[in-house]
Amino acid sequence: MTTTADNAPGAARHGRVGMRGIVKRHGSLTVLHGIDLDIEPGEFFALLGPSGSGKTTTLRILAGLEPLNEGRVMLDGQDVTQREPGERDVAMVFQSYALYPHMTVYDNIAFPLRMVATPKSDVDRAVRDAAALVHIDRLLDRRPGQLSGGQQQRCALARAIVRKPRLFLLDEPLSNLDAKLRLETRVELRKLQRTLGVTTVYVTHDQEEAMTIADRVAVFMEGRIAQVGRPLDIFARPASTVVAGFLGSPPMNLLPAVVRDGVVRVSGVDVSIGRPAGADGPVTLGVRPSALRIADAGIPARVYLVEDLGDSTIVDLDVAGQIVKLRTDQRVGVREGDSVHVAFAGDAAHLFDGATGLRRSG
Amino acid sequence: MSTRRLRTVLLVGMAAVLLAVWAFPVLWALLTSFKSERDVLAYPPGLIFEPTLRNYRDVMFGPSSLLPNLWSSTVVAGASTLLTLLFAVPAAYALARLQFPGRRASGFYVLATQMLPPVGLIIPYYLVLQKVGGLDTYAGLVVIYLTFSLPFAIWLMVSYFEDVPQEMEEAALLDRAGRMRALWYVILPQVRGGIAVTTIFVFLNAWNEFLFAVVLGGNRVRPVTVAMFNFISVEQTLWAKLAAGAMLAMAPVIVLGLLAQRHIVKGLTVGAVKGGGRR
Repeated sequence: MTTTADNAPGAARHGRVGMRGIVKRHGSLTVLHGIDLDIEPGEFFALLGPSGSGKTTTLRILAGLEPLNEGRVMLDGQDVTQREPGERDVAMVFQSYALYPHMTVYDNIAFPLRMVATPKSDVDRAVRDAAALVHIDRLLDRRPGQLSGGQQQRCALARAIVRKPRLFLLDEPLSNLDAKLRLETRVELRKLQRTLGVTTVYVTHDQEEAMTIADRVAVFMEGRIAQVGRPLDIFARPASTVVAGFLGSPPMNLLPAVVRDGVVRVSGVDVSIGRPAGADGPVTLGVRPSALRIADAGIPARVYLVEDLGDSTIVDLDVAGQIVKLRTDQRVGVREGDSVHVAFAGDAAHLFDGATGLRRSG
Repeated sequence: MSTRRLRTVLLVGMAAVLLAVWAFPVLWALLTSFKSERDVLAYPPGLIFEPTLRNYRDVMFGPSSLLPNLWSSTVVAGASTLLTLLFAVPAAYALARLQFPGRRASGFYVLATQMLPPVGLIIPYYLVLQKVGGLDTYAGLVVIYLTFSLPFAIWLMVSYFEDVPQEMEEAALLDRAGRMRALWYVILPQVRGGIAVTTIFVFLNAWNEFLFAVVLGGNRVRPVTVAMFNFISVEQTLWAKLAAGAMLAMAPVIVLGLLAQRHIVKGLTVGAVKGGGRR
């Protein structure tokens, strides 16, 4: 465990999360295969992965809502594995918001404070402060049913921040908002978290959301963490073909290739990657669509489809029977059926082991 | 256009027929309750007669007054309704939410008790109550009613609890409410409609029950259903008094229904709030 964030000035003093060897089974099905995770105080941490990858289950285990089969959950150095959800000092915003429909917005926000016998005047001040922070202070007398989706979401947020917990857990909080509102709320959420400095764990299947909002991201794949790191690092150096094939829009092209005498050969063409390719054997060559270009020489390909997106174009290319995507913001002078060559800069190439799919150093 | 009109006409017609079938006996009894015994037996039955309040005076203040029996019914039905809800609500919640060994089996048992024909249980119940001195006591009759109303109420309430989103309860747990307060402050308000419906059904069943009351009751515990039966004897049937008694017995139930109707409708409209826009 590193302690850098602890010593940083202005950083949160608490809210350190440690998950050790978390295993979760549903009958004979193993949902989580030993999750290890460390989250620093004050961090905005995203759990990213496709549906069914175990990210929400991990969040619910952190909240204490889901029993686990093996492993321990640590909060600020204390083992809280056996503690009830209410005893963990964590607040959660659910995907459905889970507001109490029979209570006013005011009572919804006040609920977590009243449950621990907070003096009335303190409750009132805290509720009004929290509501003002998320701009719903004019709606306190309404019922959740009278609010728009965005307002409901803010109400759920206010209910979480009102008690100043050591940990925020957000389960796909933006997924029920329309696209425009989602973008706006994303920015606000990030600012809010910076202001409050509370450790935040954020579950999403939207990689753009995770990339823009989080300090660090854990990529979940089939009940395992495939990679943990800062968004740009993961994007620049995916640890495996699984991560590489998941991140990016469209994701990285992965082509079967071989290394012979230190040279990478794909589709019968030697390509230069500007660095040692490592030991001989089968590999997977990864290139992002934006790093590919149509050139006079290179890997032979046939244009399969041209998708014009307005500000950019995606060209689907058939390379030895496999579709490879090329993305460019320039006009491309090719048509479907054309025979072309594609090339890329050597430092844009990613090499993964052919058998394990793990990244080769470099 | 014409098919739509035809549909409307058909629907209204069917509704009228159904309403007539449903309302006829009630209206007939209502008319009868204002007739003299001589007019009741007139043939063909006349719609025009001299209305009288004598039957009502008799069944309320006469020698065969039903007022003590109405009180008896109130005690029996009220007590069994109260006790039923007191046990059924937490039991239904447990069946709907908690995972425990035998959950499925107990759920089936609850339903199975509803399949027994009550008449088969009268003699065992009689013997048991006789042994423990429970014949002709309020406690005895209420306990017997509970054996039927409790499973029924649990079965009814489970579906209402299952409709409450799990996340709402989890939110309450994370908000430090604990199980009991989550149930009280968050879950129960969501199932108000269900509680109202269950109350009505349980109360009605106990109020209208006759078979157990006539066998297990007696001089002290004699609900209105049993007392009304006395108007039917071998020599004659006092139809007008019987009708007046029936009207009297119906009144509290109708009032209760009207009161609860408001809650039932409310319970349906409040519903659960899910994200994703206005409701």
